[in-house]
Amino acid sequence: MLMTAIDGKQAFEPVASPILRTRNLTVRFDEFPAVRDVNLDIADGELRVVIGANGAGKSTLLDLLCGKTLPSEGEIWLRDKNIAGIGEAAIARSGIGRKFQTPTVFKDMTVLENLQVASNRRVRVFENLFERIAGKANEREAAVAERTGLQDSLNRRASELSHGQLQWLELAMVLSQEPKIILLDEPAAGMTAAETDKTAGLLLDLAGDHTVLVIEHDMAFVRQICRTITVMHQGSVLAEGTAEEIEHNPAVIEAYLGSATLSHA
Amino acid sequence: MTYRSASLVAYVAFFVLLMVLPFFLNSFWTNRMATYLVYSICALGIAMSWGYAGILSLGQGLFFGMGAYMLAMSLTLADPGNNPVPELMLLNMEPDAVRDLCCVTTGSFLWIPFRWVTVGILAGIVVPCILAALIGYVMFKRRTTGVYVSIITLAFALIGQLLIINNQPLTGGFNGLASLAALEIAGFEFDPYGPSVYYLVMFTLLVVMLLARYLLSGRVGQVLKAIREDEARARYLGYDVENYKLFIFCVSAGVAGLAGMLFTVTSEFAAPSLMATSFSISMVIWAATGGRASLLGACIGALIVNFIGSLASESATFQPVWPIILGALFVFVVLVMPNGIAGLFKDFFDRRSASANDGHAVPATAEGS
Repeated sequence: MLMTAIDGKQAFEPVASPILRTRNLTVRFDEFPAVRDVNLDIADGELRVVIGANGAGKSTLLDLLCGKTLPSEGEIWLRDKNIAGIGEAAIARSGIGRKFQTPTVFKDMTVLENLQVASNRRVRVFENLFERIAGKANEREAAVAERTGLQDSLNRRASELSHGQLQWLELAMVLSQEPKIILLDEPAAGMTAAETDKTAGLLLDLAGDHTVLVIEHDMAFVRQICRTITVMHQGSVLAEGTAEEIEHNPAVIEAYLGSATLSHA
Repeated sequence: MTYRSASLVAYVAFFVLLMVLPFFLNSFWTNRMATYLVYSICALGIAMSWGYAGILSLGQGLFFGMGAYMLAMSLTLADPGNNPVPELMLLNMEPDAVRDLCCVTTGSFLWIPFRWVTVGILAGIVVPCILAALIGYVMFKRRTTGVYVSIITLAFALIGQLLIINNQPLTGGFNGLASLAALEIAGFEFDPYGPSVYYLVMFTLLVVMLLARYLLSGRVGQVLKAIREDEARARYLGYDVENYKLFIFCVSAGVAGLAGMLFTVTSEFAAPSLMATSFSISMVIWAATGGRASLLGACIGALIVNFIGSLASESATFQPVWPIILGALFVFVVLVMPNGIAGLFKDFFDRRSASANDGHAVPATAEGS
């Protein structure tokens, strides 16, 4: 994809088969636009990284996509369905899974129970009245646990896990939802170097089967998963391109007050 | 012995004990125990919504009272002294009113379906459920949580109590309904002071307990626990949290209504005091003492608190201070043992298995036992 112009209202290079599109997505908190006129086109199977300074609107963008925050204006299209305002649960059921920055899991339940709640796709009350709970992981739950290194912790209570493991558990829960689109808010935060490498590997592995949208601060990590990057600044999209293009983009450099901040972060 | 098998033993022992208890009790205590088992059913309903889903209703008395009134209306009409219209209506009617249920007092036609006891029994569960559905819909769709749920349910119970008291020609007002026939099902008459009513209540408790266990040990219970832990996370996994809350709130109200009906049978009256704030709060104290996250615990809590309460009421020293003791008990339980008696039981087994396993691999939580 070519470098596009500054400001949110740029003309887009149309993506081949966009699974997620936003059009003029805007949200204002007390008249302050936290996100304004964001137009994203994300291709099916793409791994997209969103970077930007604190307060640039990255997390708010994810909040909008998963329904946590209602947009003031604009549309969010998942394939040919406008999902803006249909509610968090309905959005999740349409195939968007979200991992938060601070891990949110069910702390008083075991790892297995957490995965069971996440992987169960029959979500309505009356479908579940006679549904029993298996004592051990099913195929999908076992596979996800294996992939995230939790296979030996299935019977441990989530409150006993380390911070890194909690991150993995939440990721495992999102994966067992089998979402089309995975939204990740700083997945490597609080992880050790080895864990970060593992996360990067997993993200690359996930892309293709899933569409992954990652928010990240850590440029080293971003370069590691090096795909299309969207730079946000003051609520708008400032630039889009590969890591190299972004690092040499004058507008981005200016926004970050000198390239040092970005390339050596 | 593991926690699982120990709790199974506790369940069996509890019901075996209840089975044989009437053989050792006089008629007065048989009736008392039957009433306490009614309270156990009510506490069980609270454990379902509060313990499993984190919905603390302080208006459970509203549903309990509604259940009591529904059956009491039928039993009032079944009493020969209340024919063709209940005495309470004769006392309150206009002098020239027609002496018929259709129009003896304003709204008296509402009593007509209650000529059939079956209607009274069904209404005793269905009406509280519908009421809970309406209140719950308004609360949960607006995403009301935590203490606000408690305040709103408390307010609705007060409204219910006022409506009953202020519509004396229809409801018997402050005095409630007290001239009732004994409950008769298929020609069998239940004697409140005999073992028949006791066993009716006990088997109802058993059935409700088994159904509640079945429901809560399955997927619904798991999702409710997840909702209690983190509502937002459950939403992002695709669950319509409001519907789950509404469902368990209605089930809990239905259980309270059922308990209310049985209360009418054991105590032979229904009065607005059943909807009083203090009574609703007492119910919560029973469940908290026994263990809100444990069905059996909540039942035992209701029995213990009421048993001690009745002993206290017979002592001149303790009778006036009983409400203070009850309040102090609640504070103590909340601060020191948040999971009540059942929590102590579980901690004991958790610690034992933890030390047996040398500290690692704590067994899967088997909550709600």
